[in-house]
Amino acid sequence: MIKGNGLALCFALVLLAVAPPPGLAREPDLSAQARKCLQCHAKEGIRANFPEDGESVPARVVPAAFKVSVHGILDCTACHAAYLPEIHPKKRFRSREQFRAVTTSACRGCHSIGQIRGNPIHANFLKRESEGEAPVCTDCHQAHTMTPVSGGKIFTNEKQYCMSCHRYQMDMICRNKEKIHLKVDLSELESFAHDKLRCSDCHFGFSQEEHPKRTFRSRRDYTVASSESCRRCHFDKYTKTLDSVHYAILSQGNLNAPVCNDCHGAHGIARVSHTIKGRVLTTQKCRKCHAQVYEMYSKSVHGKALLSEQNQDVPICIDCHTTHDIQNPLTLEYHERIPQMCGNCHANPSVVTKYGLSTDVLKTYLADFHGVTLGFYKKQREKLYKPARPIAVCTDCHGTHSITGAGSSGPPTVKANLVKRCQKCHPDSNENFPNAWLFHYKPSPSKHPLIFIVNAAYRIFLPVMVIGLILQVLLHVWRYAVNR
Amino acid sequence: MKRNRDDGKRMIRRFSRLRIFEHWGIVLSTLILFATGLSQRFWHLDFSQWLILKMGGIDNVRWIHRYAGVFFSFELILNVATAVAGVVRGRWSPSMFITRKDFTDAVENMKYYFGLDDHPAKCDRYDYMEKFEYWTILMGGFLMILTGTVLWFPILVTKILPGEIIPAAKALHSNEALLIFLINALWHIINAVFGPEVFPLDTSIFTGYISRERMAREHPVELARLEEVVPAEPPAVGSDHPAESPVATSGASG
Repeated sequence: MIKGNGLALCFALVLLAVAPPPGLAREPDLSAQARKCLQCHAKEGIRANFPEDGESVPARVVPAAFKVSVHGILDCTACHAAYLPEIHPKKRFRSREQFRAVTTSACRGCHSIGQIRGNPIHANFLKRESEGEAPVCTDCHQAHTMTPVSGGKIFTNEKQYCMSCHRYQMDMICRNKEKIHLKVDLSELESFAHDKLRCSDCHFGFSQEEHPKRTFRSRRDYTVASSESCRRCHFDKYTKTLDSVHYAILSQGNLNAPVCNDCHGAHGIARVSHTIKGRVLTTQKCRKCHAQVYEMYSKSVHGKALLSEQNQDVPICIDCHTTHDIQNPLTLEYHERIPQMCGNCHANPSVVTKYGLSTDVLKTYLADFHGVTLGFYKKQREKLYKPARPIAVCTDCHGTHSITGAGSSGPPTVKANLVKRCQKCHPDSNENFPNAWLFHYKPSPSKHPLIFIVNAAYRIFLPVMVIGLILQVLLHVWRYAVNR
Repeated sequence: MKRNRDDGKRMIRRFSRLRIFEHWGIVLSTLILFATGLSQRFWHLDFSQWLILKMGGIDNVRWIHRYAGVFFSFELILNVATAVAGVVRGRWSPSMFITRKDFTDAVENMKYYFGLDDHPAKCDRYDYMEKFEYWTILMGGFLMILTGTVLWFPILVTKILPGEIIPAAKALHSNEALLIFLINALWHIINAVFGPEVFPLDTSIFTGYISRERMAREHPVELARLEEVVPAEPPAVGSDHPAESPVATSGASG
């Protein structure tokens, strides 16, 4: 007998050891009590009515869904404490509000405040609960279908999961008491470039399983930090920004320097647009910080054409300053690139000829003193030394953002301005000096006839002389050969 | 004045030490000026850019060009000053002056080349080709000095003259440079190196001596005067007055 008992005990132990832990391989059975409740509550259309406000909530529980939920092993009365299969008061709740409040307190029976607060996402709700406006637990976790945190299968996609909370007005409080709104407008997100992304693609570290608690010193801190996620996909752009003046300022500790989000936005990231609307919008992005420059630009020949004529040919900020690797425009290197920048349009017949502008401007500049010197300085920088002397480029005479059309002021004004400009580098020069520059004109009988005549005379005299000399040499050699 | 080479050829002194030295100075300065100047004129060529970078960049090249220009100017002034002084003091004959004989020589030579005459023009100390070369370079040299100075001090110049003088000076300077370069490269080098009579090199400007044989062929009038032999033909109108001493003749403005 004892022996038989011992064998039975051993068999039982082996069974226990081999059997998988409950909840993994074998779904728990509903409790007897639950089965009893479900005899009524599994019926379709069963609702609980609230007499005071006339509202109702569904009282149906789907047995299969409840069975696989994390609470499937519980008795119904574990949460619905006021009910017993034997005692079922007919009108338990006066109103929907009261029902919601009681529901939340039911959860607290098992889940302590400490445990709830353990998830940082709840901290905000608990705070707002004290102000009487927080959503109740079941708004997010559902009533009878909540799954274990680690295996949530309720939401068909992550976005839906995140939006279950982030559709609400929520704030994250920074250390400096600034508020960051956490409500996301899904419609905005879905109508822009990133509509196919999951939340966690950008909000790295967050998922249906994890929601780490993060605090930031300020709103700006948060913006700067969130721009870091862009590089995970846009690494080429990110590396370019590392060379930019904006990044240089940022790395010096100035958080006002623009980061990705400042120009591109956060959830409403627009697709790149080369339409006139897109180009105008781009200038507005720069305007946010560079208002003064924008003012000048908007009054310039380029700005006016863009804003009032919707002209697509004129340059906008990024055409000269580039987008991501924006350089400090006050450096010598940048200054020396200007003729090429202007030449991109002004030496391109398809862009400027229709406005009656000459495409010779770049060529005539590059062939003159300043242009030749500049060309060599650029080459020398790579191989020899970097000359510290700035050389006059297009913008030195024509202006930069406030540039006006060459025909907008009379020649005397142009010359008077030019003398002042020349004197900056050539202090002793007088009003004759600017005429040493041919104003982009090629010498012709009407423009700069003196130079035209000199060149023409040599163009005739040189070949004549060379041919004469060669003939003399050839005749001499020929006679010498004949005489021998 | 005369010496015999080892092979028994009779040599005649043609250039004094001053002229040899002067020639070396001109060779050196013009080589530097051409290298630094033409590379600036043809700045867009790869070779020019390579050369300028090798010489330490455009600023360096411009300074080298200016200093070489100053050196060249001194040489030119020295050349003219010594010639003028020599002629004024009566020690040298103005053998480099262009005379009517040079034009008749040129015509005569052309006739000879085309077989219409049986002998070349009988030239004096400097033939018409040497004179052409000398004067184009001398006058061109002064034009270069003038325009070069204008380009060096544009602010000073425009205080008095209109601004357009600067680009005009630039046009003159670079065109004239090309002209002088072509005369030097094409004419002078071909004559002094590849000339059939002198190949592989006319050494007279380096040694100071020329063979009597070449003198007889190229400068018969001067040879006759040196050897106090009556020339075959009387010297044409305007040719050099016979100098007292051949040594003095050799130092004339060449």
